[in-house]
Amino acid sequence: MLDFLQTLSDGVLFGAIYALIGIGFTLVFGVMHKINMAYAAASVGGAYAGLLVLKAVAAAPAWMVFFGAFLAGGMLGWLVYVTCFHFIPLSSPLAPLMSTVGMLLLIDEVIVHLTAGMPQNYPAMFDDVMLRFGEFTLRGDLLLVFGISVLAMIGLLALLYRSRLGLATRAVAQQPIAAQLCGIRVTRVNALTFVIAGLLGGLAGALIGASVGALSPLLTTPLTVKGLVVTVIGGLGSIPGAIVAGLLVGGFENLFQQFRGVTERDMYVMLLLFAFLVFRPGGLFPAKS
Amino acid sequence: MKKIAIAVAVALAAGSAYAQEKTVKIAGFGAKSGVVRSFGVNSEAAMIAAADVINNQGGVKLADGSKAKIAVEFYDDRCTAEEGISIIRRIYGTDAVVAVGPTCSNVAEPLFGILQKKVDDKGDSGLQMPVFTDVAIKIGLARISEWAFRNVPNETTMYSSLFYWLKTKYPDVQSVYGGVEEDFAHSRASWYAVMKDRAEANGYKVIGNSKWLVNDTNFSTQVREIKHANADIVAISAHPFTTCGVLKEMQRQGVKPKLLVGLTSSSSLETLQGCAKQAEGIIIPTSFAPVTKEGKAAAETTAKFKGAADLHSMAAWENIFILKQVMESEGISADKSQLQADRRKVRDGLAKLKQTQGLLGVTRRTEDREADKPYLFVQAKGGSWVVLHNPL
Repeated sequence: MLDFLQTLSDGVLFGAIYALIGIGFTLVFGVMHKINMAYAAASVGGAYAGLLVLKAVAAAPAWMVFFGAFLAGGMLGWLVYVTCFHFIPLSSPLAPLMSTVGMLLLIDEVIVHLTAGMPQNYPAMFDDVMLRFGEFTLRGDLLLVFGISVLAMIGLLALLYRSRLGLATRAVAQQPIAAQLCGIRVTRVNALTFVIAGLLGGLAGALIGASVGALSPLLTTPLTVKGLVVTVIGGLGSIPGAIVAGLLVGGFENLFQQFRGVTERDMYVMLLLFAFLVFRPGGLFPAKS
Repeated sequence: MKKIAIAVAVALAAGSAYAQEKTVKIAGFGAKSGVVRSFGVNSEAAMIAAADVINNQGGVKLADGSKAKIAVEFYDDRCTAEEGISIIRRIYGTDAVVAVGPTCSNVAEPLFGILQKKVDDKGDSGLQMPVFTDVAIKIGLARISEWAFRNVPNETTMYSSLFYWLKTKYPDVQSVYGGVEEDFAHSRASWYAVMKDRAEANGYKVIGNSKWLVNDTNFSTQVREIKHANADIVAISAHPFTTCGVLKEMQRQGVKPKLLVGLTSSSSLETLQGCAKQAEGIIIPTSFAPVTKEGKAAAETTAKFKGAADLHSMAAWENIFILKQVMESEGISADKSQLQADRRKVRDGLAKLKQTQGLLGVTRRTEDREADKPYLFVQAKGGSWVVLHNPL
């Protein structure tokens, strides 16, 4: 029983990472109704860029690296918007999808070329903190990721529902032409959405690097897949949905691994996705039509 | 005017001499993209560095007594089987007399399959191209084709020797638990066919093993299994990224086995870059460490070409010198019209070799075209690899 609980809690806490990535996917989809396939790669790219802080300040604390990743993530988000959306005809759903797939591969290969594919040690916060309740343990660094996911959700919801930018964003998401007629600069709002998602992505990338302990280009593909699964299960465009789905996927993943083995684990996660697509296509938190 | 005429004459003479200078092309191939890019980068640098040393000494002596320079051209196979097969076909279409590569065993295995299986078999239309592998290490691959040769360490011998030495050195250590990257050809084969088997053969009780995938990021369940097993030795058969992930999780969960054993390929800079602190103490058998004069010189020369010296890249270095020796002893012509005959000579020359000179000492060549290389045991200490024991 203890093993079951430990496996479940480990998975749920690790699912906070999927939740952070899922939030970024869902934010862009919520505003532009487009999937940004390069999101996880840009997040990992931002985390790599954060390591430049260590080049500049040798003994920089982890939070400075995280802040560097946060800023770099925002810049990469803007870059992805400019290269993959701004000049691409958005009327064709395939065009931005393919351009972002291209950007995913490009970012991945740039990282590989700059680091020769070598894993990079990543600084962590609270990685030595382990909350112990007898034999049962909780990782401090993953609790931090979980806390940041919840804060990100609250911050984003506040931004969307309590600020002028949020009002403009929601207007663009619902009726872009009407929003433009009301004087809202749609391009600016879209670009800002990417920057905000990118800032969050950079932080997510850094937290992922910290919780894994190392960064590798190997991270981009599984995070992209898990991010998309979380976005669909949570409900496309739903930020709370992304968080709940992230934790759910993380927990199920670990349980499947425990009971069915590592080689069958991902098969069951995909079956879970299919089950949602068939029986609850809108996800856990379906968008109001 | 007279000066210009002399200059033109000198230039023409130089041009003519240049035109007459023969080259022997060696095609290198391996992963220069993706997460194993460092392997291809280092192999390429080592091959170019070795060729540079040979060329500075005059080059390769040909059948007619003239000398030819070695030209290395390196291709990226991205560590994928289809790309590797496509590249070996491309190389076959060039004037390369031999190919050195690939990086990945999952490329080597199907690639050797498209080579002619038995020499002179007229019913077999497979490629007749000698391939001399430097990195792909999965056991027993060269027997697929008589055109395939390898200069990679024999993991069975190395782990047998390692577990024997550990048994002698630490008699109180009794049990082994494995950790294996289940979806990576080399890691999987090394655990099930080599490490596990050799540990049992040396009297260890193998309690079990945990599995993970090469892309995995969360190792909490596997490390808990390792913790429950409470074995004296934890043997990790995985590449640096997941090895580091597991070692960091072991630190978090407070798992401290008496000894840690790693996969040959992890005795590289990558592991230290990813988790030097957590890898402290891990013991790995390797076929290269810069402990000899030749080894140090090879490492320094390769560094000038922006490559790192490790057991894989230094095998590429050795391959170029072995090929020089073979080309000279077999008397190749480096004449394009005799290309296939030259390739055959290189193949036959490689097949004849009984031993070669490596950077750690003499390498014995086996009947099935594999190498029995000298090796030693290294240990991660203070952020670098230090020689723990030289069993030879």
